[in-house]
Amino acid sequence: MRFRFICLLGLSLLGYIVPLWGQDSLAVRGTLGDTLQLSNATVTAKSREQRLREGAFAVGALNIRLQASTLQSLTQAIDRTAGIRIREEGGVGSEFDLSINGMSGNSIRYFLDGMPLDAKGTGMTLANLPVNIIDRVEIYKGVIPASFGSDALGGAVNIITSSRARNYLDFSYGIGSFHTHKADFNAQYTGKKTGLVFKPVLSANYSKNDYLMRDVKVRNEDRTAFVIKDLPRFHDDYLSLFGQLEAGVQDRSWTDAFFVSASVSKIDKDVQTGATQDHVIGMAERHTLSYNVAARYEKADFLTEGMRLHASVSQTWDHSQTIDTTYRRYYWDGSYIDGGYSEIRRRGKTLRHYQRPMTVARTNLSYRIAEGHDLALNYLLNRAGNKQTDTWDKDFEPTDDVLAKHIISLSYDQSLLSGRLNNAFFIKDFVNHLKIGQNEMPSTTGADKVKGSDTQNYVGYGAGSRYLLFEELAVKGSYEHSIRLPISRELLGNGSTIYANVALKPEISENFNLGLFGTFDLGGGHTISYETNGFVRLVDNYIRATVMETESMMQYVNVDAVHIKGVDGEIRYDWAGRLHIAANASYDDSRDMRKYTQSGDLSVTYRNRTPNRPWAYANTEVSYTFSNVVLTGSRLRLTADYQWVHWFYLTWEAFGSASTKSKVPTQHLTNASLLYSWHEGRYNVSLECTNLLDALAFDNYRLQKPGRALFLKFRLFL
Amino acid sequence: MKELKKCFVILAFALVSMVMAVSCHEPVPEPEPEPVVLKDYNFDLFVCAVKHGGMSKNKNGTYVRSVSALTADQPRVEFTGKGIDITEDYTLESITRGKYYYQVPQKATGGFVKFHIERDAAGEERIVEDAEVPFKDNVYSARKYTHAWIGDSTTLVIVGTAAKTTKIIWSKLAESNMAVQSEGTFDISLPEGFGAFSTSGLLTYRKSDGKLYYFYLTKPAAGLSDAATSVTHIAVIDPATMKVESDTAVPASVMEETAGSAYGELMQNMIMQDEAGNLYVAGMITVNDQEMGILRRIPVGSKTFDPSWNGFPNPEGKLLTVQYLGDGKALSYSRDESLGTKIDSKSHFYSIINLTDGSRSRVKYNGTDLQYCGGRFSQRSVVVNGKAYIGVGGEVEGEAEATYPTIYIYDCKTGAVEKGVELSKGFCFDIIRAMETE
Repeated sequence: MRFRFICLLGLSLLGYIVPLWGQDSLAVRGTLGDTLQLSNATVTAKSREQRLREGAFAVGALNIRLQASTLQSLTQAIDRTAGIRIREEGGVGSEFDLSINGMSGNSIRYFLDGMPLDAKGTGMTLANLPVNIIDRVEIYKGVIPASFGSDALGGAVNIITSSRARNYLDFSYGIGSFHTHKADFNAQYTGKKTGLVFKPVLSANYSKNDYLMRDVKVRNEDRTAFVIKDLPRFHDDYLSLFGQLEAGVQDRSWTDAFFVSASVSKIDKDVQTGATQDHVIGMAERHTLSYNVAARYEKADFLTEGMRLHASVSQTWDHSQTIDTTYRRYYWDGSYIDGGYSEIRRRGKTLRHYQRPMTVARTNLSYRIAEGHDLALNYLLNRAGNKQTDTWDKDFEPTDDVLAKHIISLSYDQSLLSGRLNNAFFIKDFVNHLKIGQNEMPSTTGADKVKGSDTQNYVGYGAGSRYLLFEELAVKGSYEHSIRLPISRELLGNGSTIYANVALKPEISENFNLGLFGTFDLGGGHTISYETNGFVRLVDNYIRATVMETESMMQYVNVDAVHIKGVDGEIRYDWAGRLHIAANASYDDSRDMRKYTQSGDLSVTYRNRTPNRPWAYANTEVSYTFSNVVLTGSRLRLTADYQWVHWFYLTWEAFGSASTKSKVPTQHLTNASLLYSWHEGRYNVSLECTNLLDALAFDNYRLQKPGRALFLKFRLFL
Repeated sequence: MKELKKCFVILAFALVSMVMAVSCHEPVPEPEPEPVVLKDYNFDLFVCAVKHGGMSKNKNGTYVRSVSALTADQPRVEFTGKGIDITEDYTLESITRGKYYYQVPQKATGGFVKFHIERDAAGEERIVEDAEVPFKDNVYSARKYTHAWIGDSTTLVIVGTAAKTTKIIWSKLAESNMAVQSEGTFDISLPEGFGAFSTSGLLTYRKSDGKLYYFYLTKPAAGLSDAATSVTHIAVIDPATMKVESDTAVPASVMEETAGSAYGELMQNMIMQDEAGNLYVAGMITVNDQEMGILRRIPVGSKTFDPSWNGFPNPEGKLLTVQYLGDGKALSYSRDESLGTKIDSKSHFYSIINLTDGSRSRVKYNGTDLQYCGGRFSQRSVVVNGKAYIGVGGEVEGEAEATYPTIYIYDCKTGAVEKGVELSKGFCFDIIRAMETE
């Protein structure tokens, strides 16, 4: 046990991050060819994350298990990854937009153990998924392995939940600024006689999000003029509840794993602003209630030796409501005028119901032809309905839309030259079936252009290769002709702040990556590893969010062509698992390549930088871990990180004088945390301070993010 | 003493009689305002990227340049790195008077704003806000209101709709500081079978009879509707009390809809008055299942349209804007339906209307018609100091053929047309405004 502990300590945070706590089996996940060196009790091996980074594709990998005791949400960790940028609209539970190498958030697909994340309900996102259940996160940049059966264009985020062999109980509670409370519980119990495995998960998040809005305009006492004040948000309560029970068996003759699960999620959210903070809302709300049942089956040597089957099926019933039944015009002090328009839509009153049932079926059948040669066939069905009714607006005509996708993919993976050369080839076929029933505001939503049903077929393909020259230098490249079918949020809106655009076309992109990576073992426990990736995305029908300022609404539109070129890089230094320094930087240049407007005129924005998106950003992180502080076997980890985002224009940068243009200002955010763990990680207390310097920060135009906030978390792992 | 008392009674009677005679007499028409004459003025030019920005959600940016002249000797008006990007703060559509803009701004702070554009020593334009006041009880949305000036232009009247366009609200604002002086709701209700009013309607003040004229539609339901299902109404309002003195439904054969009814005259001019005080309104009527332009007149002394008079006979399509040039002539911007009906269709053109006989002719330069333009919602012409400055979009298909948007200058007296300044190409040219500099 002692040896194991020392070994693991030596290993940790070298970029070879392996779990330290809460694990009763020592699994040094080295591969053939990896070095196992015993010197001063130091073992060198590669974590799953490091091996993934060294694969043929451009991948970012994060070990979440190690950070779970301090993290408030998954978005925090992902946002610090090279090439990744998360733009949040506000505090806890706010909408966010994730981009990978410059591709917008909705070009990114999210998976939970390989299944689409929204199968857990449309309200479940990276922001409210309980972090304690997560083991690691894989972020695929641009080129996505066929095994996901996905139509992602810019990348994919795959969240892998923890899988432990023994029974355990994991509970945490956190309390923070702005009346924030978070509680997570998950456990595993295996019946001794039956062998049945039960995995319950419960999670609750609540925040009033009453952080201070600075320099907002409110009316003076006699309401004849505006005055500038700092005032707290007053209608931004957020509550999310998630419960899941998974039960099944493992390691039987007929299955390696067979589990069924049922989950429920509930989200209640007040709406505080429109697309900008000038549009203050004081009564409108959104509610979402989702149920999901799912089953998964895994079997190695299925039918024949070397064949492996993963099959999953999931059914979700998702009902959301947007309540916009007040004719009021609010100000930041909570006062209002009885106005003539509803708060969100600025039209008549609505109480809109959205029923979005979703069926997902996924099958992955792989076969090892020979050592180093694997063939895989994947099929994914994703059928989403969108039924809209309104129990207030009698003029509203109910609609019933269906969006169904069938994605079939075939992949072939090679490992040659004793594993020094890895190649992957794949082809994907996408069938998109759309049935449009809605016809509200047809000129805005495009419902007049797309009527009835429509089926389209698209083919995508790609390849990736990695060659390991030395441990210190390896090169990898990948390419994909990718298709991204619009998601329901883009096509059908969100019922509150996003208009539907049913005429949206799929995005098509040629994605190229070329990367270098390596690790230098400097001896004495000093290790430096690096990776850098250059990328090109040549996108047609790029789907871009636009803000309709007048109505404070958004809508996704196709931009004929966008070319994105860029580079990101990361360097990590580690000393004996104590000192860890990491820095990354990302730059991308996205240009509008549509030469002519729809009417055939020369477009003035041709070759202009795409507006309203961050294009240069960087992160640094330093942490130091002390051992045996006060208590034997305890650890104290101090971490500080700094995020920088270069300012960017909201509109096309070329036009208008610079002094008159609207900008999203530069962000300098500093965060700090400490984590104290004792009794081999059974008990953990963390204190985190985000936005330590209380900087005024914006990810989006005129949508202030929270100021300095403290979060105290206690975690118990038995 | 008795004599004195008698004299006093006679005198008082005479005085009262005189006052009554004066007050009961038809008002003597006051001369209409002279055509716009500005001493020192700039031209503010508004363009949008990618798509025309008028009367719709702006997704691609709105840029403004303020230039001192539009004659051909001026350098080409460029927008790359120059001008004001107003996209996020202000609407393209605005009320203007003198040097000031008045509007419910895009930034949605919940009030009215007054601003002007000035140039610094380096010639770079910027917006200076002169006043910003919150709404009082009536709330207006950006772009969705109409306006008129009363009280020698010291008071601005704003009219809009509320409660899903089922109520018509009004506010009076002081021009100087935009303070809300009074507010209310018009005593106008929806007739049986109609569910909504037009979003804003059109408001104007006729000095000859001292009345506000409010042209509005009743429609089956809120939102877009075709002209055939709408009914145009004319409400005559006392500007002092804001009471509706008369409310007349216009027969469909006279006018089905006004040329615009959702955004007032914040961008496009659809109402004009001549020197005699006749009021002209651009509208539409269905002919052979197609909405076509029509120009009606409310003669001086009357409060409704003269059904026998049409200033826009035999239309090629919709009549979009009209501007009075003086001496019985008007400038029209209309569409030839056969050349396309989309916002960007190259089917829009300028004509000079002779209001005395209803004849009209295309505006020509060197004997050639000015080219067709895109931009259903635009007001690229302004009349000032006896000249009409007419903007023609330079959009021609294909890069090689693309020409520069150009201003043509029409002399209202002589009818001569000269070529003016060019604008950089590629933008959608939407508005010219003449603004006083002092």
